[in-house]
Amino acid sequence: MNRRAYLGVDAGSISLNLVLLDADGAVLFEAPYRRIEGNPVAAVGAGLRELRATLPADVEIAAAGVTGSGRHLMAAVIGADVVKNEISAHARAAVHLHPDVQTIFEIGGQDSKVTVVRDGAVVDFAMNLVCAAGTGSFLDAQAKRLNLSIEAFGAMALRAKRPTAIAGRCTVFAESDMIHKQQIGHRQEDIVLGLCHAMVRNFLGNVCRGKEVRPPVLLQGGVSANPGIRRAFEDVLGYPVTVPERHLAMGAIGAALFAARAGVSRTRFRGFAIGEQPVETQGFDCEDCANRCEVVEIVVEGEVIGRAGGRCRKWEATGAAAGEAGESAETLKR
Amino acid sequence: MSALAIQPWGNYALALAASVECLRVEPWTQTSSTPEMLRLGVEASPECSCLSFKASTGHFIRAAMEGVPYGVMVNSRGTCRLRYYREAQQKILWERGLNLHIFGLGYDGFKPPLIRYFDPDPWPFLQCCARARLKTLVVDEIEKQAWRLRARECRPGETTRVMNGCLRALREARTTREIRAVSRGVPERFAGIATDPDRPVLRVGLLGEATVLRDRFLNHNIEDLLGGLGVEVCNFFLLGDEIRNIFHIGFNSPNSRRALRRDAAPWLTTPVGGHATESVAHTVRCAREGFDGVAHICPTGCMPEISIRPILRRISRELDFPILECSFDEHSSHVGFVTRLEAFVDLLHDRRRKRGAA
Repeated sequence: MNRRAYLGVDAGSISLNLVLLDADGAVLFEAPYRRIEGNPVAAVGAGLRELRATLPADVEIAAAGVTGSGRHLMAAVIGADVVKNEISAHARAAVHLHPDVQTIFEIGGQDSKVTVVRDGAVVDFAMNLVCAAGTGSFLDAQAKRLNLSIEAFGAMALRAKRPTAIAGRCTVFAESDMIHKQQIGHRQEDIVLGLCHAMVRNFLGNVCRGKEVRPPVLLQGGVSANPGIRRAFEDVLGYPVTVPERHLAMGAIGAALFAARAGVSRTRFRGFAIGEQPVETQGFDCEDCANRCEVVEIVVEGEVIGRAGGRCRKWEATGAAAGEAGESAETLKR
Repeated sequence: MSALAIQPWGNYALALAASVECLRVEPWTQTSSTPEMLRLGVEASPECSCLSFKASTGHFIRAAMEGVPYGVMVNSRGTCRLRYYREAQQKILWERGLNLHIFGLGYDGFKPPLIRYFDPDPWPFLQCCARARLKTLVVDEIEKQAWRLRARECRPGETTRVMNGCLRALREARTTREIRAVSRGVPERFAGIATDPDRPVLRVGLLGEATVLRDRFLNHNIEDLLGGLGVEVCNFFLLGDEIRNIFHIGFNSPNSRRALRRDAAPWLTTPVGGHATESVAHTVRCAREGFDGVAHICPTGCMPEISIRPILRRISRELDFPILECSFDEHSSHVGFVTRLEAFVDLLHDRRRKRGAA
């Protein structure tokens, strides 16, 4: 009999992560970190090709889960059984791998979140609202200005002796402040650690405001790959912060765990052909109401396999239900 | 016939439209703002003004562009900036060379300025008010059914379709008799919706700032999103109660200002304007009445509602009651909002499971 395995895909704003878990939740496969670079469909195709190349013949995919900000599109593309928000997915994976966790910091490319966990259950969470100054994009922007790769940036932060104080409320002002600090002769590694501190202060001050941050703390999401940020968190909080072994794949692991628990009898996963077939997207503006949503259709071999992007749920209810989905607010206009 | 622009206030727009019939003007309104209106409003408004201001300013600009000569805007007493919105909007319109005169609806003399200007005959005016009041009640009735069924429907979107059908019938109803007939037909229309009796349904209260609570463009369709996640919502901005409180009638109603103040009193005694006292009182009531949680929604920078956020956090801590805070402005990301709603619903399901197990 074939071994059942569960696929998890985390389609974030910057990167796409893909894992395969066995029935006990152990990781069978983790695709290498991949930047989406504007094409999530190509990215998942590449990930699936890699998975197929390493997959033993007796393993079958019993269910698939997706998460991340691009989850709705991704769900249609791969044929997911479970679509989960990234807060719940990250928490699920964290509790699975570190059952004693109390606080999760999840910092991604454009979102940063704090999740408060007590007794293995999420009791509170918060997320950045409009400003990206507490996220990976902030560090990316600053590293570019210093002409450093983001990997070299983290390593350099670890060499710093005294972090330079940098105004990190806003990326633009951080740049002005950083240039000023360079001009008065601060060492570059101190400036780099200063930037990490600025981001951490921003995160703790804005996103975590009013939330009960207690150790053990897990740091996950794309930014957790940066050792400078971990050091800055430990400097500010005064206790160790754990970066889980598979810190980049935590969202995907969570999605796969949810898929495993969902009790799927027959998966909707469309198979590895997704990696081979050309997947096209086309869009239209729905004119049924004043919102004028831009709806995206995913097309494989001339057939619409899913839709995403509407504000009401009528387009997501694919197939026959969509066409007759009903009148909207505007028809009530006098 | 001349026309009068009325601020969109959710489905209550139907009732508000009915209330001006006797003024011999055509009502110009809709059940929600549009992206175009918001864009016009954002361009014209001061940056720090709230989303409600921007949306209603855009609404009046759009109306003026279509040649509507009059508008009406609430400018109620109280410590919220809403008191000055009518004047500010009028100035914005005039500065842009738009000739739309906005009447206030607040207290400035015995008769509101709108009534003074149009001077309707007393008897038709009272009849018209009574019809508008009746329509308000029918809207509430329709929405309550929709809140309940949307969380349980088998085919996504069916409840909304039935609701829109009811609302269209209500819009066409002109006489008291016709409105009553629509009202009687409501349960029957909703009875046809197939529901899933086994689905675990959560109950979540929606409270906060009135316009954002009711304008589904501004609140990103929160009622529909939560309904789709299996949540029965209860929106605590009820126009009928609001009007009763403005005119100080219905002392014994559970939603009278006095009753609400009493429930809010352990946490908030000072009036901070807007619907802040109501938000505190309803949060406490929801916690007592076994709701799973509440979502507190307001425009970013809404002074009264922001002032009570620390109080709501304290209530949440002391009564062990989940509260989701949502602030909206024109930059709010829809995806991020959906993520938070979904995570909140997951959290509530976990709590319920834990309580069931304990």
